[in-house]
Amino acid sequence: MARMAQSDEEDRVDARLLAEIAAGSEQAFVELYRRRHNDIYRFAVAMARSRSFAQDVVQEVFLNVLENAGRFDRAKGSARAWLCGCARHLTLDRLRLERRWTDELPADDSAQDGDERLFADQRIERLQAALARLPVEYREALVLVDLQELGYAEAAVVLDCPIGTVRSRLHRGRLALAAMFEERAPCAERADVGAPLQAREVCP
Amino acid sequence: MTDSQHDKLKLQGLQVELAQLRAALRAVEAPAPNEAALRAQFREAVRRKAIEEAMVSRGGGSWRLPLAAAATVVLAIGVAIGALVLRVERPVPEPLAATSPEAASVAVGAFQPLSSAPRLSPSSSYSVVRVRIPLSAFAVVPGTVQDGTIEADLLVGEDGLARGIRFDEADAALVSVAAQSRQ
Repeated sequence: MARMAQSDEEDRVDARLLAEIAAGSEQAFVELYRRRHNDIYRFAVAMARSRSFAQDVVQEVFLNVLENAGRFDRAKGSARAWLCGCARHLTLDRLRLERRWTDELPADDSAQDGDERLFADQRIERLQAALARLPVEYREALVLVDLQELGYAEAAVVLDCPIGTVRSRLHRGRLALAAMFEERAPCAERADVGAPLQAREVCP
Repeated sequence: MTDSQHDKLKLQGLQVELAQLRAALRAVEAPAPNEAALRAQFREAVRRKAIEEAMVSRGGGSWRLPLAAAATVVLAIGVAIGALVLRVERPVPEPLAATSPEAASVAVGAFQPLSSAPRLSPSSSYSVVRVRIPLSAFAVVPGTVQDGTIEADLLVGEDGLARGIRFDEADAALVSVAAQSRQ
């Protein structure tokens, strides 16, 4: 409850800043950037697994804010969702441009140029790599809800689809991610994944 | 174990992994913002937007440009007529039918340079633009010249400024009358 109230207050501040930016306030622009650039950066990192990619997305999102802050309508969703929506569109455009769609990626993890090692922990790195190989509609739902901790309703606004679609994409995405994560687990690790796996998979 | 139970277990395991990824991702930070660059970006965007809005509003009022052009042409013609009047010696006003042939010969055929315009140069290129001007534009006192319009050729330089003017023979006579009515 306290978290919801905090989030509501944060959204009010963001909405006010967007209105001030639309009215020409430079200070509001700098403040909104400081507040939200990390959220956008993390979303793009999680989607594309690249820091330089994420940096470009942040840059473009705030250019978009400069152009379109006046179009933000709080009745349609939170300011955070609006910013995430901008980030999502720009991320998808860039992914399309760079042909980094999941189904075009080589099967071998190491074969992907431009990917960076983001996390020291190998398991986390492997999960991130598996996430980057999910079909994009599952990946974005997972990133928004499971990693960015947006509610279903907010995620539905960002993804521009009904809440039911968000739920089903999440369910399918999680199952696919779990399967990919297991597939790529080194044999030594597979025994830790869970009892069902031990019964079903036999390492050579 | 059924498939759904298996999926449930897999998802539980995944939630643990996702929580770790979430925590690790929270520690990922974007490069610190360069405030000076941000402010410069903002100012540039505001400047660009202002230019775009100005262009849109100019495009929206599409009648303004032709109107301004027409006003410029009328002004140029006025200046031309003024120059013509000063050059042509016409001691006694004459009726239209008896228009002095000398006066007409000044304006007909050759371009008459405009006094306010830069000198014509043989090395420059010019365009000829045909314009239609109401006769009333030449009269200081309304009603002193007849209604109607005349056609004239404007000699326009590369900079868009009119350098000379030429009338048809019949129109030159009318202009002479109109010009005399100003004196």
